[in-house]
Amino acid sequence: MSGTLEIKSINRREAFRYMGYKGGEINQGILDLTDQCEEALLKTVKPRMVYRVFDIMNVEKGVEVKTTPLIFKGKDIKAHLENCRKAILMCVTLSAETDKLIRSLEAESMEKAFITDTLASAAVEQACERAEEIIKEQVGEYNYTWRFSPGYGDFPLDVQRDFLKVTDAAKRIGLNITDSLILIPRKSVTAVMGISEEAIPPKRRGCICCNMRDRCEYRKGGNHCGF
Amino acid sequence: MDFKSLLKKEFVSLDGAMGTMLQARGLKTGEAPELLNIEKPEILTEIHREYIEAGADIIYANTFGANRYKLEGSGHSVEEIIGAGIKNAGKACEGTEALVALDLGPIGQLLEPTGSLTFEEAYDIYKEEVLAGKDCDIIVLETMTDLYELKAAVLAAKENSDKPVICTMTFEENMRTFTGCCISSMALVLQGLGVDAVGVNCSLGPRELYPVVEELCRWSNIPVAVKPNAGLPDPVTNAYNITAREFAELMEKLVPLGVKLFGGCCGTTPEFIKETNRALKGKKYVGIAHKIPAACCTPAKTVIIDRPRIIGERINPTGKKRFKEALLADDIDYILGQAIEQVKGGADILDVNVGLPGIDEKKMMIKAVKAIQGVADVPLQLDSTIPEVLEGALRVYNGKAVVNSVNGEEKSLQTVLPLVKKYGAAVVGLCLDENGIPKTAEGRFNIAKKILDRAVAIGIRKEDVYIDCLTLTVSAEQEAARETLNALERVKKELGLKTVLGVSNISFGLPDRVKINSNFLAMALTKGLDLPIINPNTESMAAAVRAYNVLMGYDLNSAEYIAAYGQSGSVSADTAVNIQKGDMDLAYALENGLKGEGARITAELLKTADPMAIINDILIPALDKTGSEFEKGKIFLPQLILTASVAQSCFEVIKNHYAQKGEKSVSKGKIILATVKGDIHDIGKNIVRVLLENYGYEVIDLGKDVDYMTVVNCAIENNVHLIGLSALMTTTLVSMEKTIRLLHEHNADCKIMVGGAVLTPEYAAQIGADFYARDAKESCDIAKKVFEEFYPN
Repeated sequence: MSGTLEIKSINRREAFRYMGYKGGEINQGILDLTDQCEEALLKTVKPRMVYRVFDIMNVEKGVEVKTTPLIFKGKDIKAHLENCRKAILMCVTLSAETDKLIRSLEAESMEKAFITDTLASAAVEQACERAEEIIKEQVGEYNYTWRFSPGYGDFPLDVQRDFLKVTDAAKRIGLNITDSLILIPRKSVTAVMGISEEAIPPKRRGCICCNMRDRCEYRKGGNHCGF
Repeated sequence: MDFKSLLKKEFVSLDGAMGTMLQARGLKTGEAPELLNIEKPEILTEIHREYIEAGADIIYANTFGANRYKLEGSGHSVEEIIGAGIKNAGKACEGTEALVALDLGPIGQLLEPTGSLTFEEAYDIYKEEVLAGKDCDIIVLETMTDLYELKAAVLAAKENSDKPVICTMTFEENMRTFTGCCISSMALVLQGLGVDAVGVNCSLGPRELYPVVEELCRWSNIPVAVKPNAGLPDPVTNAYNITAREFAELMEKLVPLGVKLFGGCCGTTPEFIKETNRALKGKKYVGIAHKIPAACCTPAKTVIIDRPRIIGERINPTGKKRFKEALLADDIDYILGQAIEQVKGGADILDVNVGLPGIDEKKMMIKAVKAIQGVADVPLQLDSTIPEVLEGALRVYNGKAVVNSVNGEEKSLQTVLPLVKKYGAAVVGLCLDENGIPKTAEGRFNIAKKILDRAVAIGIRKEDVYIDCLTLTVSAEQEAARETLNALERVKKELGLKTVLGVSNISFGLPDRVKINSNFLAMALTKGLDLPIINPNTESMAAAVRAYNVLMGYDLNSAEYIAAYGQSGSVSADTAVNIQKGDMDLAYALENGLKGEGARITAELLKTADPMAIINDILIPALDKTGSEFEKGKIFLPQLILTASVAQSCFEVIKNHYAQKGEKSVSKGKIILATVKGDIHDIGKNIVRVLLENYGYEVIDLGKDVDYMTVVNCAIENNVHLIGLSALMTTTLVSMEKTIRLLHEHNADCKIMVGGAVLTPEYAAQIGADFYARDAKESCDIAKKVFEEFYPN
C-alpha cells in the first residue's frame, strides 16, 4: 500500500536539537528565519509512504522475509523481531522536491539551507510517525514493535537495496538508492516493524535508533538528549 | 506491419503487465525478471502469446530493467538479456501482425543533481540497450519519473536507431511525477524531441488517471498512449483492486479525451486487454486538433508566453568586470547567485551567456546550464554565437529551452535552425543578416519573415519562433527607436509571432539610463513586446512589466502585482526591519544577520577606508567573536552561519571593488574542498566553504561525489597546500581513505583536514589525515595554523 502523508507543522524542538541547540536564548533573527523556512518547506514536501506485510521466519543467520530474497542479518534485528511471525517493511520519503528546495537554498543563503535541512530531518521523523499510525489503522489491532531501521545496531545497511526492491519503493514512492547506499530523496527512512503474538514490553529506544546518532552534538560530547 | 500503418487503425492495443504474469508463475518479489529471458524463454513467449491472443498489436519484450547497472553481477550482458528478450517476443509474434517493442524503464540510479549519475552516463546506458535491441520494431520508454533521464533515453534511441519511439511517464494524483515533472512540460519536451507517441503508465488505475490523461491530451499533437494499473494494490496480498470488466469500462471513458493507444500496467492480465478491446469496439478515435501555445519549460514549470514574460539578462559577462573575473576563476557559485537573485526579482526566463575570450565557452556553458537548472526553476535562454556551444547546452538542458539566437545570415540559418529542431527548442531570430541591421522597419520585417519561413520549412513550429527587432542606441541614432518599435508591431501583427527585445541598449551614452529604459520598455510593451530582456532587479523595469500586466488584464485581480508590492512596497527590500540606518555599524549588521545592510555599509566604508582595513579591523574580529561564542556554546550553528553570510555579502562588495579597479582580491591561501567519491551529503562542506572564504581564503570547491584523482590533480596543478575532505556515511569513508592515499602517493605538497558526521579524531589519524575538524569553526582554525606554521607565504 502506498499513499501520501500530511504534516501540518514541524516539530521545532526536534529541529533545534538537530541544529545543535543546547539551551539559552535564540536570536530573534533565527526564529524569524525558521518561520520562513518552515512555511516554504511545508509547501514543498510531499511525504509519501509505502509498506508491505510479510511473513517472517527465524533462520540461523537472522530473519528470513518469506517470498522474497531478503534475509535480515544480525542479532539486533533478530531480537527486535522476537516472537513476531509477520513484519511490516515500510519506506517513507519527503520527496525529491525537498532535496531541490534545500539545494536551491544553498545557492541563495546557507543559513536558510541549514535550517531547512534540519527542519526536514524533523519532518521525516514526523512523517514516519504518521505512516505508523496509518499502517496500524489499516493492518489492524495487533502488538507492534517500534520501527527498526537498517543501520541500527548490527542490522546492516546493505540490506537497503533489496529492501527497496521488495517494497517496490522506486515505483511506488520514488525512493532510490546510490551505490554508496545513500537513500535518494535524501530525507527518507526505511524501517521494519514486527507484529508480535505477545505483548511487547516498552523499551527505551535510545541512541541506537535515532537518525541523528551519527552527527549528534550530545553524543559527541558524551551526553544524551534524553529522548 | 509497421507502427505507421498500425496508427491507421482506430485504436492501437498495447499489452498488459509482465511482472504480474511472472509472479503468478512463481517469480519472487524483488528478483530480476529479465534473467528469465534466458533461463525460461518458453514462459515469456507464452505470456506474449496470451497478450497477442487478447488482441494486443504491440507487445513489450521483457527488457524493462535490462540495463548495465541492474544486471551487474547477474552473469549476463545487456546484449544477451535484451537479445533474448526480443527473440522471445519475436517468436510469439510469428504468424501474427503484432509488433515487438524494446521496453526500457528507468535505470534505477537517479541523475544529477539529485543523484550522482551524469546525463552523459545515462545516455550511454540507454545507448547500449538500444543497440542490443536493434531487432525490435518499436522502442518504448516507460514508467519514467525523471524527464531528464527520459531525455537522455530519447536521444540515445533516436541517435542510435531509426525505430519509432513511444514514451510514457508515471504520474501521481497531484498531476506530477515523483521528481515534480508536470504534464505540460513532459508533452512540450517530448514532442520537441520528435517522439512518435506520448503517454502515461503505471502508478494509478484508469479512474485516478482520468484528469492526468485529460491534461496530457490538451498538450499533445501526437498520439497519446495510456497503460494504467489494475487499480491500487493491497499491502498484504499485493493484489490490485479492480476487475477486468471495470478496467475496460473506465478505459472506454478515456476515448473522448483523445487517447489512441490503450494497454495495461501492473496487475493487468490478458483478460484486461481483451475486455478493453471489446469495450473500444465500434468507438471512434477523436483525433488531435489542439493548438499548443508558445511556451518553454523546466520539468516542473511551464512558462506560457501568453503575456509579457521577463527574461533576466544578468548572466552575461559583457561589460561586467566582476562577472568576467568569476568566469575566469571558474566561480560557478557567483553565477548561481545571479540566477537566484533574478528569479527572486521576477525573472520568468534566464538568459545564459558565458562567452569570454580565454575560456572554453562550451565547457563553461554546459557547466553553467547544469548548475543553474539544479537550483533555479525557470527555463533558460541559451545565448551564444557558436553553434557547438549551443548544441552542448541544448543537449544537457533539462526542459524546453530558448536558443538565442539565429539571424538572417545563410550560415546562421543553416547551422542554428537544425539544432533548434533536433532538440525541440524555441528560437530567437535577430533581424539582421550579411548586410548588418536594416535601418528601416520594413527591412527588419523582411528578415523576420525569412527566418520564420526557414524555421517552418524544417519543421519548427511557428509558435517557437520569437523575433528580436533589435534595439539601437537612441543617443547615436535618434530615429532608430521608432523603427524598432514599428518593426516589432508589424512582426507581431502581420506574422503573428512572439517578440523579444533587449531593452537596456537604448540608453547607452545617456545619463540616468534607467529612465529611458523603463519608458522605452513601456512603449515596446504596448506595441506587443512579449519577452523583454531586462535586469529584473532594477525596480522600475520589473515594475513596468508588472504594471502592464495589471492594466491589460493579464494579471487577474492584480494578484501578482500585489504579491510583489503589497507587503513592503518593494520586492527587493532588505529583510532588515525597523532599524534606523544611521544607527548601525558593520559589526551590528554582522551580529544580527543583516546581509543587505552589511553590503551597504561596506560600500559606504569603501569610499574612505582601505579594503584591507575593513577586512582586518572589522570583518575578521566580528567573525572571531561569533566563532568563539559558538565554541563556548553561547550561540548555535545557524547564528554562526548567519554571521558568515553577512560577511560574505560584505566580501562580495569588496571583491567588486577590486574588480572595478582591476586589482586582484586578497587571498590568504588556496584550499580545496571536496565531498568524497560516492558521497552526496554536502551541506556541511558548503558551510565550511562559506566560513573559510570569509577568513580570506580562496576556496576551490570541487563539489560532491568527487573522483579521487580529481582532487589529486587539482591539488598539484594549482599548488594547493590545504585540502579539506568531507564524508557523511560509513560507506564512503573508504573513499576518503583512498583519496588521502593517492594524494600521498602522488607527493602532493599539502596538509589534509577531514570532517563529517561519522568521523572521529582517531579514525582521521588512522587514514592518514593531518587534521580532524570537529566543525566548520575548527576548520578555520586549522587553515590559520596550516598557512601560518607550515606554508608562510
